[in-house]
Amino acid sequence: MTLVMRIAGACLVVLAAALPFIDKDGFGVTVGTIIALNMIGATSLHLIIRTGHVSLAHAGFMGIGGYVATLTLMRLGWPFPLNLLAGAIAPACLSLLIGPLLLRLQGKYFVLVTFMLGEILRLAFLQWSSLTGGANGIFGVPAPGPMFSSQAGFYWLALGSSLLCIAIVARMLTGNMGRIIDSVRDSERLAQCAGIPVLQVKVAAFVLATGLVGIQGGLTAHYLQYIDPGAFTSVQSLSFVVMNVIGGMRSLFGPIIGATFMTILPELLRGYVEMQHVIFGLILIAVMAAMPGGVVDAVNRARQFLSRRTRGGNLDSNLPRVVARQ
Amino acid sequence: MFNAATIWQVVVNGASLSAIYVLVALGFTLLFGIMRVVNFAHGAFAMLGGYALYYFWGRFGVPYVIAVPLAAAFVALVALIAEGLVFRWFYQRMFESMIALLGLNLALVYSAVMIWDVSERSIPPAFSGLIEVGGLLLPKDRLMVICIAVVVLVSFWVFMTRTRQGLAMRATAQDLEIAETQGINTSVTYRIAFLIAIFMTALAGALYAQIYSLSPFMGDRPLMVAFVVVILGGMGSIPGAALGGVILGFTESFLATFYGASVSSFVSFGVVIALLIVRPWGLLGTPDGARA
Repeated sequence: MTLVMRIAGACLVVLAAALPFIDKDGFGVTVGTIIALNMIGATSLHLIIRTGHVSLAHAGFMGIGGYVATLTLMRLGWPFPLNLLAGAIAPACLSLLIGPLLLRLQGKYFVLVTFMLGEILRLAFLQWSSLTGGANGIFGVPAPGPMFSSQAGFYWLALGSSLLCIAIVARMLTGNMGRIIDSVRDSERLAQCAGIPVLQVKVAAFVLATGLVGIQGGLTAHYLQYIDPGAFTSVQSLSFVVMNVIGGMRSLFGPIIGATFMTILPELLRGYVEMQHVIFGLILIAVMAAMPGGVVDAVNRARQFLSRRTRGGNLDSNLPRVVARQ
Repeated sequence: MFNAATIWQVVVNGASLSAIYVLVALGFTLLFGIMRVVNFAHGAFAMLGGYALYYFWGRFGVPYVIAVPLAAAFVALVALIAEGLVFRWFYQRMFESMIALLGLNLALVYSAVMIWDVSERSIPPAFSGLIEVGGLLLPKDRLMVICIAVVVLVSFWVFMTRTRQGLAMRATAQDLEIAETQGINTSVTYRIAFLIAIFMTALAGALYAQIYSLSPFMGDRPLMVAFVVVILGGMGSIPGAALGGVILGFTESFLATFYGASVSSFVSFGVVIALLIVRPWGLLGTPDGARA
């Protein structure tokens, strides 16, 4: 990361934190809260994707976090930060149990299994109605303490959690750990030969990511004061994947850009709910066909192209033109 | 509970479910085996098949035996547009195809919502009542489903094993480049395979919609079924899809009759996940590395 990018990043964070002072009518704060919450899911899924696996069960794990946080608060009376912690630990424990089995699978098989795991989790939320309230869900989830009951207060809580999550994922993806994760994705066998415990690395990333998305589940339940299985379907899992795909799957900036875009776009198309889904679908097709690397990759390529132009072009980029002229 | 009448009901229901499941799964496995495309929009095409039958049979009053294949063929022909605009970009690109076709699914389903709204419709039954065969009472509509499926499956089998085009298709599935060097026009082969796959899916969707109900979201269930069956049998394996469809159809019919529908979903998903972990290439598939 260059100095300019660091300064730009810091400016963005300050700007985001100052949002409740700038925006008076509260709509921007609402959207900002949802963006911050979605960033948790998108960046934590990004961690799994970077190990080379696309999980379609992420919303299911988010649901576990949401229900555990809600139930420990409302049934067992645990205080606020503790219930959120429980909501993070529960999905992490589950993924610690099943992760070693699932993560042996390659590419498409992993996608299919997690797709079905997500369905099983959703069915479990739906059917276990003595605990989860079934399709009706649970109403009246209280606000997390007086400090965060105001709109701005909750916004800062969401923003803080989101930044913390991004920081954790960023720490995992940089330095030695980041190189290990990249090597596991790019060449599993070679990584194994280099003495990297591939499966443990994958499981660690999976457990951490599902724990983090559990926090999003808990916070969302607090924010909406309501939780139901409809929020944790494969569509939500897919939307996390889409955030990564649109932004770019090779860089942590990808899910951040993607989560922002995917939250703002529906707000712009609010009057046309069906149209919005159709447009999503078409965007997905177009992005996968034209720029499978996402926005980040497209920007990088454009920058390379421009810098080659402004520098007057180096030899190999001029070569085809010279040859063509002869 | 286990008397003869119930057992027969389970068997007939199982056979008709199997017939539909095999059709859905064959389309899915064909697209995967030949084009390496994971068709997440499969359910949407099944849904379109349902609507096509609704119009041809329910509204226009075309005779049933003609209306069913006509509806499926109509959907398959219209789907050729999707092949040209969408699918073509993603042949042999498995990962990109999954995401993009999920997008196509979303676009088709919500276009259907805009056109036909979310309310559930029903396709009028073609046959009602029971027929007596050798002292057993069998529902006519289920028997019809089984007959249609058997005819389609047999003709598919004949096409794949007895015609030059079928041979070309199998060659393309085995090795794209070598098939091309032998003079096979692979883009034509792809288009034919696509037509057949969507035809079978739309047919299955039409039969399914007639038994259950017709709505823009009805495709979710056939899509899940296609996943489960194809994973059971092995991705890309045609006999595997047939075997998987039969296993799933009968298991589900049995479990749903005696233990309820949610138990049967849990069990089938659970079994498939377990199978994937032990033997990810399915019952009749081949491991990725072993393919020569």
